[in-house]
Amino acid sequence: MIRTALPAAALLLGLAGCAASPPLASGLPAGMSRSLELRDTPFFPQEEFQCGPAALATVLGASGVLVEPGALAPQVYLPRRHGSLQAELIGATRRHGRLAYVLPGTGDALLAELADGRPVLLLQNLGVKQIPIWHYAVLVGYDTDRNIAVLRSGRRARKEVRWQHFARSWDRAGRWAMTTIAPGVIPRQAEPARYLDAVAGIEAAGDRKAAATSYDAAIARWPGEGLAWLGRGNVAYAEGDRAGAADAYARSVTLVPGMGAARSSLAQVLADAGCIDEARRQLELAAAHAAGTAMSATVEETRKQLDAAAPTGPGQCSLPGRRWPD
Amino acid sequence: MHIESFRRSCVALLSVSLISLGMQTPAAAGIVGTADAIAVAQQQTDLAVVRDALARADVREQMVTMGVDPAEVDGRLAALTPAELSKLAGDIQQAPAGGDGALAVVGIVFVVLLILELTGVIDIFKKT
Repeated sequence: MIRTALPAAALLLGLAGCAASPPLASGLPAGMSRSLELRDTPFFPQEEFQCGPAALATVLGASGVLVEPGALAPQVYLPRRHGSLQAELIGATRRHGRLAYVLPGTGDALLAELADGRPVLLLQNLGVKQIPIWHYAVLVGYDTDRNIAVLRSGRRARKEVRWQHFARSWDRAGRWAMTTIAPGVIPRQAEPARYLDAVAGIEAAGDRKAAATSYDAAIARWPGEGLAWLGRGNVAYAEGDRAGAADAYARSVTLVPGMGAARSSLAQVLADAGCIDEARRQLELAAAHAAGTAMSATVEETRKQLDAAAPTGPGQCSLPGRRWPD
Repeated sequence: MHIESFRRSCVALLSVSLISLGMQTPAAAGIVGTADAIAVAQQQTDLAVVRDALARADVREQMVTMGVDPAEVDGRLAALTPAELSKLAGDIQQAPAGGDGALAVVGIVFVVLLILELTGVIDIFKKT
């Protein structure tokens, strides 16, 4: 009877993996080498249930931050869940001065990061959709001719897995993957929105220096990204640099006139600088642009604030002689 | 659940009143953090929703219940954006928690075999 059991079990285990996963060779993007392995990637064998800290230590080490899994566990491990959450791996990455760049869920994105020299931390579901077994591993290489993925996984420093098998386990886990990036470095194939999301995260975590360096790099690469200028303005504001903040917000508003967040922030820094008339004008423009959008309540709130807090009257503006965007 | 949402509404209302009264650092009221701006744009929700006043306290409480050292919790929460916190407040119990693969695989194979056994597809556990 065991003969019928095997196909049945295989069917059950394979249910969630029905999405076609072609062999590596058939989908290799043009210009990608046929095999690649980041052999210098460090390895930390995991303790019981601690694949999160071990995998994170691996990618952080590869990006130049030497930290032991034992030191990361108190920052990411959830004892009752016997595991670590994605959000907390991202948070811990920020605490160690690195950006957590979450990749698009495509095999090409994984390979491109490897080609750019970064091992990829990813989530796998080693079980089935209905009964998931979540596991973090680090992709360090692939070989098209042998059709394998090479992983740092659990207690195995070098684990070879058939590519389709690996791709399905990643697919069942929602295709989540990230790399850790030093401030100022931008992945060659990076999407501006994803990169700025990563920078905004480290800004929110309070690492202003890393955020400033990264926003500057983003502005150098994508000068037309309003969000990068908003972020640069926010860092400048947090450091007490009103003129720098106002200029950056103004650039953001010039690029994206309808960005309520940038208008609101510009109005605020103008008010701080005593340029009340211009602050009010910017808020009116913000209100006009934000009408009917998710920002309208925020802009209204800022206006109330300004009405309540700011004195009226001209003459005290510490940012004179500038032209602010309409 | 009703009590929970009532509690949330109360705190949200209270926070709004406090903000209106100017009790929350009025100097930076108009500054919108970059992460918040992104969340508002992506989710098309109001900033107050993104900055869910209760999320931080909620997640903190749940983490301590889940065995995290209270001395570590604040450092962990400080590394997350308001949007990440409010998402976590809702799904910390179900969100994927990557743990140990190998041990669990043994367990799941057993469960699968057991199900197959019980449904009569196989009979490897019977002596007859």
